[in-house]
Amino acid sequence: MAGVLLSEAEKTFILHGVQNDLRNDGRSKQDYRPIELEMDIVTHANGSARVRLANTDILVGVKTEIDVPKSDQPNQGKIEFFVDCSANATPEFEGKGGEDLATEISNFLRSSFASPLSFDLKTLCILKGVQCWILYVDILILECGGNLFDAVSLAVKAALHNTMVPNVETVAMDGGNVDLQLSGDPYDCWRLDITNIPCLVTLTKIGEHLIVDPTAEEEECSMASLVLAVTENGRINSICKTSVGSLHPQTLSDALKVGAEVGVGLNKALKEALAREEKRLQADKPERFGFLK
Amino acid sequence: MPTDNRRIQGPEVSTPYCLFRCSTENQGKIRSSSPDFPPVRKDGRALLEHRKIYVKTGVVSQAKGSAYIELNNTKVICSVFDPREIPNRVEYSQHGELYCVLKFAPFSCAMRRAHQQDSEEKELSLNLKRALEPAVCRHEFPNFQVDIYVLILESDGGTLAASITCAGLALADAHVPMYDLVTAASLGVVRGVLVKDPTEEEEKVCREELEGINQNHGLITVSLMGAHTQITQMWQTGSMTTTCVSESLTHLIQSCEEIYPIAQRCLVKSVVDTISKKKISEQ
Amino acid sequence: MAAQYKTIHPAKYYRDFLAHDLRPDGRAPDKTRTVTVNVNSISTADGSATVRIGNTTVICGVKAELGKPKADEPECGFMVPNVELPPLCSPLFRPGPPSEEAQAMTCFVSKATSEMVDLKELCVSVDNLAWVLHIDMICLDYDGCVQDACLIALSAALRTVKLPKVEYDAETKAPSVFLEERTDLSIKSSPVSTSFAVFDDEIILSDPTGEEESLSSAKLSVVTDGEVIFSVHKPGGSTLSETQLQDCMSIAKDRANLVNELITVALSPVDR
Repeated sequence: MAGVLLSEAEKTFILHGVQNDLRNDGRSKQDYRPIELEMDIVTHANGSARVRLANTDILVGVKTEIDVPKSDQPNQGKIEFFVDCSANATPEFEGKGGEDLATEISNFLRSSFASPLSFDLKTLCILKGVQCWILYVDILILECGGNLFDAVSLAVKAALHNTMVPNVETVAMDGGNVDLQLSGDPYDCWRLDITNIPCLVTLTKIGEHLIVDPTAEEEECSMASLVLAVTENGRINSICKTSVGSLHPQTLSDALKVGAEVGVGLNKALKEALAREEKRLQADKPERFGFLK
Repeated sequence: MPTDNRRIQGPEVSTPYCLFRCSTENQGKIRSSSPDFPPVRKDGRALLEHRKIYVKTGVVSQAKGSAYIELNNTKVICSVFDPREIPNRVEYSQHGELYCVLKFAPFSCAMRRAHQQDSEEKELSLNLKRALEPAVCRHEFPNFQVDIYVLILESDGGTLAASITCAGLALADAHVPMYDLVTAASLGVVRGVLVKDPTEEEEKVCREELEGINQNHGLITVSLMGAHTQITQMWQTGSMTTTCVSESLTHLIQSCEEIYPIAQRCLVKSVVDTISKKKISEQ
Repeated sequence: MAAQYKTIHPAKYYRDFLAHDLRPDGRAPDKTRTVTVNVNSISTADGSATVRIGNTTVICGVKAELGKPKADEPECGFMVPNVELPPLCSPLFRPGPPSEEAQAMTCFVSKATSEMVDLKELCVSVDNLAWVLHIDMICLDYDGCVQDACLIALSAALRTVKLPKVEYDAETKAPSVFLEERTDLSIKSSPVSTSFAVFDDEIILSDPTGEEESLSSAKLSVVTDGEVIFSVHKPGGSTLSETQLQDCMSIAKDRANLVNELITVALSPVDR
């Protein structure tokens, strides 16, 4: 993804490191790098979060708006993902370079949210066939240091957790027009249920081994990687191969097992982090260390 | 909406008539009539029975290579053209590229499709590209791209799988150097029951049908290089346990392996035909 | 040897053949290619047909939708024909908005078919609701005379359209559709187009292939309906004598009758 140029010797070095279960930065194969998480940093969004995973920096904002439901799904709300690959993230994103990657990420997010078991769009319905909430999830990639998918999913989940949807006080049909009255109190909101929203786990195959959370250098050494969307209880919501190269069925089954395990751990860690962040926000004057103050 | 002055314009809004059908009819037919997914499907197939496949190569005379595939009502045509230099590219690329464009014909689905490529088509195009890339010897044509155009004439489930198989055949027909043929198959899961090669109607049930929490449901498409047993692409949506995914995977690999000889025979036939035609013309 | 000669000197290659009153594909200059018509091949469309003229293949699908009539023509429905020349059919085309050629062809087809259906019959309720027929013709193989194939495909596809009965409730402004009661469209005319290419300013080739079209010095399309000449379209190029034009017209008339018979035969078997 990120344009890193490596010599054959450097690649071999990384490969040997993975074989000995000791990667360049001292991690074992299934370790993540330290992750920073902040919530509620964009005042104008209904929910926002920023995730920094080593050098990968993601900012997600969620906007809620009122829209008309789709004619074939009258009792469901909508959720839309927009990925913006900022040209600052990596030189490759300049011009139209990031567009393909952006489509890939937003498509994958959409398909991992598709199951009603993980995110029930029916809760976003206000009046069947007439009015519903639409969630615009805007994902901004500020810096790209490998493992975009995982970082994006963590940020999206956190931002949705942080999202406040205003309560609707009254809905009345007046002829063909809808009369909506939103609650006047800005704190009179409800929160989305994010329990079953999946986290994405990228498994990269280097040599004969599968590693999680690859750095940009490690991504360069691999031919095949697989992204899994794993929920809190270890169910798989979406699978996609994201790079050139193919996999043996046995590798794939191994990847499923490893991915589910790692995914459960990741979800758990995120849940704890969210609870901690929530507490911090509720404290009188939260100390913010993000770039957007 | 921006107006399209390159086409004849209809009215700004027009809705498919199916939405206004009279309520006397039972709309959710499958939903009410089947508390359990019936062992025999609407088209009379068993649950783990694949649809019959018809494949043909060399259908487009103007293309370098082309193929057509028919799975009952799913009809896909694909053509592949000579490699050309990658346009608007400054750097030299070591590997050749595949440029895949997948398009639904406006009349191919129950709802009319727009003329511009929408996000679903982009997603399918990307999946198609990922499925074919590992099979093509891309080092043989550095800095060049091979154009692959896929048109869905009619979609009745298994569209991606059909497109992959079809494009794989078209690439072979266009004499693009490849490691192996790619074949693909799809499978649906609904309430824990596995359904091979689901139709559009069944796919919809697999996507949405829910009775109780934590039931497995969803769709999987897998493409395989038969001779090397390498999975080139796997695409799953829905929600299922790892055991369910593994089980589906075994079935899907089996389906792909069943399709492989069909594709092979089709290619052999086209080669034999070309040779015999050449002989006649020489005489 | 012949293949190399053809690539280096395509015009000369053709001249050699035409000196013997033959074309490279074995036809005499005035002979047309075989036409095949297949109807109702697409079940998701409301009407469809696939037409082949030699290698040229066009598939036409009709999707019927409901919409509000235009304010200046409140009692008329819509026919929206569109010819698509996707990159799939020939290396000449690239993905993106329709090329000029596709736009010209759409125009040609839309003019030729303007009399086929009475738009007033497509109206459900004046000023409120009318049928919109989206007619998409997609070329799958571009090997000459695509506009002829489009017109035949459209003509055959329209004949397979069966529209369901619709009732419009003026009070609730809601239409209700009865899917079981369907009626045919009434088709007023059956235009058939036959194209010609002029080679070396004098020889007229009927029903040219893609190669012949690209080598030709002028093109001519004659649209006839039975004995009536509907339109003659000759966009520039070298000149034609009156007798030559007369010849073309008589060939076009004969072919139109044949094609119309063919469409009737294709439609005649009972619904599959």
